[in-house]
Amino acid sequence: MINTTILGWVTFIYFAAFVFYLFRMVLAREFWGGVAAWIARAGLVAHTAGLIIRWKTSYDLGIGHAPMSNFYESLVFFAWTIAFLYLLMEWRLKNRSIGVFVMPIAFLIMAYASIAPGINQRIEPLIPALQSNWLTSHVLTCFMGYAAFTVAFALGIMFLARSVAGIFVRVLPTEYQMDELMYSSAVLGFIFLTLGIVTGSVWAHYAWGSYWSWDPKETWSLITWIVYAVMLHARLVRGWRGKRMAWMSIIGFGCVLFTYLGVNLLPSLHSYMV
Amino acid sequence: MSRKKSGIWSFFSSVQLAIVLLSLIAFFALVGTIVPQREAAVELGARIWPGLFSFLQKIQIFDLYHSVWFFLLMVLLSVNLIICSLDRFPLAWRRFRTQPSPWSEEVWKNISPNDKFQTKADLQQAADKAERLFKKKYRTGIRGDASGGIYLCARKGRFSLFGVYLVHLSILILIAGALIGSFFDMEAFVNITEGETAEAVFMRGGERMELPFSVRCDKFTLEFYENGAPKIFQSDLTFLKEGRPVHAGELRVNHPVEFEGFRFYQASYGAAPGGKATLAISRPGVRPEVMNVAAGYTFDLPGGKGTFEVLKVEQNLMNMGPGLRLVVRSGKREEVFFVFRHIDQIKEMNPGIIEQVPMFNPGLFRPYTFSLMGLEEKYFTGLQVRKDPGTPVLAFAAVLLVGGLMLILLTYTRSVWVRLKSKDDGVEVAVAGRSYTNKAGLEKELKYLLAELKDNLERSA
Repeated sequence: MINTTILGWVTFIYFAAFVFYLFRMVLAREFWGGVAAWIARAGLVAHTAGLIIRWKTSYDLGIGHAPMSNFYESLVFFAWTIAFLYLLMEWRLKNRSIGVFVMPIAFLIMAYASIAPGINQRIEPLIPALQSNWLTSHVLTCFMGYAAFTVAFALGIMFLARSVAGIFVRVLPTEYQMDELMYSSAVLGFIFLTLGIVTGSVWAHYAWGSYWSWDPKETWSLITWIVYAVMLHARLVRGWRGKRMAWMSIIGFGCVLFTYLGVNLLPSLHSYMV
Repeated sequence: MSRKKSGIWSFFSSVQLAIVLLSLIAFFALVGTIVPQREAAVELGARIWPGLFSFLQKIQIFDLYHSVWFFLLMVLLSVNLIICSLDRFPLAWRRFRTQPSPWSEEVWKNISPNDKFQTKADLQQAADKAERLFKKKYRTGIRGDASGGIYLCARKGRFSLFGVYLVHLSILILIAGALIGSFFDMEAFVNITEGETAEAVFMRGGERMELPFSVRCDKFTLEFYENGAPKIFQSDLTFLKEGRPVHAGELRVNHPVEFEGFRFYQASYGAAPGGKATLAISRPGVRPEVMNVAAGYTFDLPGGKGTFEVLKVEQNLMNMGPGLRLVVRSGKREEVFFVFRHIDQIKEMNPGIIEQVPMFNPGLFRPYTFSLMGLEEKYFTGLQVRKDPGTPVLAFAAVLLVGGLMLILLTYTRSVWVRLKSKDDGVEVAVAGRSYTNKAGLEKELKYLLAELKDNLERSA
């Protein structure tokens, strides 16, 4: 199908963007940053087009639904939210140094979605459990949250890389800037995660007759929420900064990954995501 | 602070305690996703030493989320939230009430050269312009003229001070709502065959509970997509009081039906006994006779020389499509065999099957040959029935939680000052600010404000 072809190409575009962000860092020339940013934007446009075409195709097939209903679609959407959020930040902050840490994540997710065996790329009709208006709002808020946490994670890695190796200090933002950005991303993610849990809870109330059933995915989303709640409290009240926040954003991202992928190893009501 | 605090008070009001408790809750939640819980634990019980199993069961490892430990953590967290909020609220209230003064001297200590600029202008005119801009940006603005110059000050986002208390309150209400649910909620199940009526439902333990009304399942609809995935499970329900229908509803997955505080959910379905089949019975030289039959009933053979009893009617009998099993009796003779709808295809795919397995032969009882013309299956619908008075409480708490978070994280309280002073033969404009929580945001805002002031004063000067 045309949409999967487009989305397959997006993978390579994101990889190219990553390579040019890397040039920018290694060669310390802003020119390469500009090239990388334009490639990344082109990638996002193609990505968006791919999603819209997929959405429209599903309606042409008579099984219309937003493209977020199976594992392939969720991966593609996750990568989209990461690229979207990153480019938004880049544009607002007029700073391209985070790209080299964020774009490879978007690339890896797209690559995984495109080539991993056992991932069904077809557009499937919605089973009764997913036929709900809450599907879109739940998935949208959760993945916006995940994307913001991914950016915070990338910043955490950047922070530690800077303080450990001291490399490329000239082209990376100051520790103070990175700390502030990490905090802002975590805050954004926390709000979206809260909304994601709330919308999920409302949906569960309609679908399963119970707003909370300690399903592993629910439980892990709560664990993730608590980790970030601790992170924000530690900063706002105890004044944690820098390295500690970087570690917290890495631990938090670990929880996000486990909530998203790891729980598939456990028996779960969310099993249709595989 | 003036009030002297006891050790217990300061222990419970500390953020360290909150962090420890939250970490413990997260840890418990994590253990609960690894150790099998409730029904799933039974399997584990068969594999480990019984003494260990019963010990673990006693300390409620297998029902962690409903255990005393978890309950205790929730109580401690609630106490912690209440005490720490009570402890800090008076300060927040004072900050909320205190208006910044335009004559505050202290804010002008250690301002950097980046926080001011010099421009050629008349002091009064510049002050008027600055005030207009200031009022537009902050809606309020207090102006104070003093000998040292003209001062403006304003405050923004002061409701953000209460965000944290809203969030804490919402968590308390969440815990309360969950508690209400755990004591007063009801979860039951009932299977209703199409066309039948249920007066009672059954709890998890099997206890029967009478409903204050009765429910009838008029029809169960099952539809599939072309690829075989399910498309619709739907039960058409009618609620009756004293035998009279008072309410009807179409129940689907994701679309529960509510009646008198009870919520009905589509949970499962299945084939019910009592499906009807159309049989054609033929003898050589006589016109075939068509009959409607159902499992469990006995019918006369055409010609009156015996009877046959239908034992089973199934949509997918032994994975070979619609079929039924019957026994034909005539005098001392008795034959049990199957009648399949698609017997021709079965014969084609398994040559010789009739010879090998006589029970597959629909003509086993000579001279009669049975053929299955059609089958109308009956379903039962599996309903989950719930009642949870805690739900509206939780919905309220969720709204409060999101609102509170937005207040804390997207807005912040800050006071901003502008000072205009005659200097040389122009005006020196300086900005300063104070924020309890967001120094970085304030810095950015001051920088922006200064640029705007500069732009405003110099453009028209």
